[in-house]
Amino acid sequence: MPDAKRKKVGVKPSTKVDVKPDKTVYKSLALGGLLGGGGECSIDVKDGKAVRIRPFHYDEKYTKKHLNPWKITRNGQTLEPLMKALPGTFSLAYKKRTFSPNRIKYPLQRVDWDPDGERNPQNRGKSKYKRISWDEATTIVANEVKRQHKKYGPLSILVQGDGHGECKTIHTPHGHQGRLLDMMGGFTQQVRNPDSWEGWYWGSKHVWGQGFQGMMSPAANLIKDISENCDMVLFWGGDPETTPWGFTGQYATRICYFWTQANIKQVYICPELNYGAAVHADKWIPILPNTDAAMQLAIIYMWIKEGTWEKQYIKTHAVGMDKVEDYVMGKEDGIPKTPEWASKKCGVPEWTIKALAREWAKKITSIIHYFGGSYIRGPFSHEPGRLECVLLGMRGLGGPGVHQCQITYFGMPRAEGLKSVRYFNPQLSERLRIPCRTTIDAWGKQLIPKTLIQDAILKPPLTFMGSGGQESGVEDQFIKYTYPIAKEKGGTEIHMMWTDTPCRITCWNHGNASIEAQQSPKIEFVVAQHPWLENECIYADIILPANTTLEVEDIVTNTRQGPHFQSVTLQEQAVKPIGESKSDYEIVLAIAEKLGYGEKFSEGKTTRDLQKDVFDTMEMGDLTTWKEFEEKKYYVYATAKDWENDPPGFRKFYTDPIKNPLPTPTGKLEFYSAALAKHFPDDQERPPYPKWIEKGVTHDERISSERAAMFPLLLMSNHGRWRTHSQGDDISWTRETPTGKVLAADGYRYEPVWVNPGDAAKRNIKDGDIVKVFNERGVVLCGARVWERMSPGVIYVDHGARHDPIIVNVDRGGAINTIAPDGLTSKNACGQATSGYLADVQKVTEKDYQDWRKIDPVTYDACFAREYDQASGLRFNAWVEGGME
Amino acid sequence: MKVFVIDVGICNGCYSCQIACKDEHVGNDWAPIAKSQPDTGQFWLKLQENIRGTVPKVKMHYVPMLCQHCDKAPCMPACPIEGAIYKRPDGLVIIDTEKCTGCKACVDACPYNAIYFNESLNIAQKCTGCAHLLDGGEWKIPRCADSCPTEAIKFGEESEFKALIAKAEVLKPELGAKPRVYYLNIPKKFVAGTVYDPVEKEVVIGATCTLTGPKAGKTATAKTDAFGDFWFQGLADGDYKLTIEAKGFAAKDYDKLNTEKDINLGDIPLAKAKK
Repeated sequence: MPDAKRKKVGVKPSTKVDVKPDKTVYKSLALGGLLGGGGECSIDVKDGKAVRIRPFHYDEKYTKKHLNPWKITRNGQTLEPLMKALPGTFSLAYKKRTFSPNRIKYPLQRVDWDPDGERNPQNRGKSKYKRISWDEATTIVANEVKRQHKKYGPLSILVQGDGHGECKTIHTPHGHQGRLLDMMGGFTQQVRNPDSWEGWYWGSKHVWGQGFQGMMSPAANLIKDISENCDMVLFWGGDPETTPWGFTGQYATRICYFWTQANIKQVYICPELNYGAAVHADKWIPILPNTDAAMQLAIIYMWIKEGTWEKQYIKTHAVGMDKVEDYVMGKEDGIPKTPEWASKKCGVPEWTIKALAREWAKKITSIIHYFGGSYIRGPFSHEPGRLECVLLGMRGLGGPGVHQCQITYFGMPRAEGLKSVRYFNPQLSERLRIPCRTTIDAWGKQLIPKTLIQDAILKPPLTFMGSGGQESGVEDQFIKYTYPIAKEKGGTEIHMMWTDTPCRITCWNHGNASIEAQQSPKIEFVVAQHPWLENECIYADIILPANTTLEVEDIVTNTRQGPHFQSVTLQEQAVKPIGESKSDYEIVLAIAEKLGYGEKFSEGKTTRDLQKDVFDTMEMGDLTTWKEFEEKKYYVYATAKDWENDPPGFRKFYTDPIKNPLPTPTGKLEFYSAALAKHFPDDQERPPYPKWIEKGVTHDERISSERAAMFPLLLMSNHGRWRTHSQGDDISWTRETPTGKVLAADGYRYEPVWVNPGDAAKRNIKDGDIVKVFNERGVVLCGARVWERMSPGVIYVDHGARHDPIIVNVDRGGAINTIAPDGLTSKNACGQATSGYLADVQKVTEKDYQDWRKIDPVTYDACFAREYDQASGLRFNAWVEGGME
Repeated sequence: MKVFVIDVGICNGCYSCQIACKDEHVGNDWAPIAKSQPDTGQFWLKLQENIRGTVPKVKMHYVPMLCQHCDKAPCMPACPIEGAIYKRPDGLVIIDTEKCTGCKACVDACPYNAIYFNESLNIAQKCTGCAHLLDGGEWKIPRCADSCPTEAIKFGEESEFKALIAKAEVLKPELGAKPRVYYLNIPKKFVAGTVYDPVEKEVVIGATCTLTGPKAGKTATAKTDAFGDFWFQGLADGDYKLTIEAKGFAAKDYDKLNTEKDINLGDIPLAKAKK
């Protein structure tokens, strides 16, 4: 349009926009929790409002010189730290979590649960809630505690106080109730099994000893040694572009790009083109879920056949190679574990298996993980876990460039003056330490593994081998536990559940069974505390509103490895608490006060006292002063001057296994475990040395199964791209990405199921369709994502989407673990097996809906009548009489 | 004058740019530079996903799409209000939140689909380069660049990026809009496959693959690697011929491979040579 014709509008002249914040608050917005933060962010606050959340810059108040940045070089390329943290994407969207429409605004009581009358346990998950006051709520909970103690004894109360959560220390999201109940005589503990690394915990531990909860440890300087020596790295199962986001952030991506520049070949072995493979892979080898053990055996076969393994090393560093050799070469069972044999099981062409075996024999290679993807969380996962150790052993584990590496979880340069990179600091005062113990230690007087809660309620008594506690030693796996314990020791069945940040339905085995258990009349009272009305909350009788990290004052030690530099931040409150919410600590304190334990519980300490406790425990006084720390609000650790001298991984064992034995009975790598043989002589699912387990008493989930006629696909589940397990499912900005949710024709955003175009065509499924993913354990509605990122014969749904029940055993929210196997890792290993199981996917038909409605019209109609927010999903008002008011 | 230089080759597809943009603009009012962005459905920076090939030869790349801050911006002459869309001395193109009357002419005029229409505010909206932050003095780069973990999104003075710009391309150069957003390493098409011996069930290493086209006489060669794989990358769209030759095997030819879509030829068996 020519200027002369343009309209002029009279507006006041443009002025500069005032963007200066009133204050900037530091927060750790990763979701790992447990006294070790990550995802460090700066939040600009103006007029009491969180204006922006941005990556934290280390050099705001410290110089680059102070930080003494490290350097790693290879082939003329250099890897160096940045001066800013690299939080995962959902951390940057955290406003959407704090201000989610699903936040619980005030204490709630289920409308048809009357502590003095009918309790209607069968209506949990069906009936709505009404608002009550904090005084009423805490009185009810305190009275129920007293009633349980009197009627059954303290161990009738189950504490579900474990798992991940927001990074907070004083207000840590888990386990405060355990500390209170412990003061009052004890409790029954739900023991969190190592849900993301089962195979290493139940398998590898028996080969290389305790390690770090089963993973290879020591693990110093792995990134340096791999970068300097490897020609190839195998990303086996896990995804460096996904899972690290929940714990520290995105540093792994920079290492991967550096390795590409330095010509270190990156091979991805996984059924799906995961986010790392999509941008970093030089070679993608799709493999059927949970069949990695077959390919591992075939690689061993090739190395033995061609004589390309470190025989001398094995002689001095390992025991049981003869047994492995006899099994692999077919001397034991008449079946040589050839590439041809393996190919039929794992779907990888015979020629590719041979090529991988030879390339691996030729090139210095490490195996990279960030937890397991579908590789280490399936039925019998200890077998791939142990075979990985055998493979690494046959290449000279601990030698230059031969490691298992959890990329950016361990193996980064050491910081000066940092006492421990572990996220659990045993020196901390009890007030701060005890709540976290519930996640990592089996310390309750009576124990139930988290995988067995439903059986404990529905089918007691139980016996199980090993508690599954993360920090429990190898020998714990040989202890036989019973539930309930003997009466004279206070043993009783559980009759009350006190849960915080609940996620069992959506993150553990056979979630539909845990729903059934929670509706049992045996459970007289369920109290849940959580910021959002989701998952198990809707099966509770009293719900207490917890708040998020933006709303509290705290101190967080960002000491996990994975950010460029580790730090400790003094965290101010960014925004006022939403509604009547309190921190998880404050909630339990309010109940403690009603029970007469207020002072003992608080130790009379202020927030300031506790912040100072952490400062002192970490011996930060050697590095800075409290005054300076208080002014700057953070301290960043510099790289240690002598960091390069730390021996990488198992180097000392590699160099001299006699002087530096492994913590195994023989001090060597135990390909054959005499301890397993002694304790479990008849265990066909976890024999003394690793094997291929086609099926067993615990699982029948292979494509060879008769069940595959009905459920012909293998379903895999990974850690979510846009969630950390169940956390983060409500962020409207991530839900609208192509892999976030699938917006279907009915206006609901469904959890995506990835389907290969060939499998989709056979079922007439198109991208964007509403589909049912199902097996005999139930039905989960998903939105089809039909694309070449999925290999044939496999469907993929991330675990952790929020449960949204239509009727019993039919879920609309995409909570895929509702239909995961109930069975444990194996008979004597009480882990979960939630990836790599049989299922099918089909289009949902009108008839399906009609059939479901026929089963339970009231519940069905209530589901479709519930208020729903297309942007962020589930809503608080949908379950509460009176809604937002 | 400011420019964006975006290296698609190191974009890991994390969406931090798209989401940091929302964090800055949803629920925040920076008028007259920008008013609040709708919570969902509009993206002043939109990450575009590209999946290429078929299992197992699949590659992805992501292209951050935003206002190109064109020097000859097609939106400006389309706007009927004087000064409603203006170019700042630093090169950024801004839609004045106070002057925009909501006629949508610019939305239709933008060849990059970078302008969105906010129904509830009745104004056109788009990337501002976070001009409100740059003007404040403390910010040197916009939110998308600050949140980028790989530094794929760079922002700064044109002069400091001279060397990169020389290697970069702009989108739709034929329109002559003179964008100030430069892209590096946007992949072109590939032809790939795995060569194997169906008798021995082994990959064939070192097979010579010769790709001819799309122009007559233009030839590229590649040897199959340790996995029997060959890759021809960076191919222009067009018709190609491929010949695979290996000692002891009969040669294999493909005619008319059209690279409108990337091509995975799959696992290719080679027959033994006739003696």
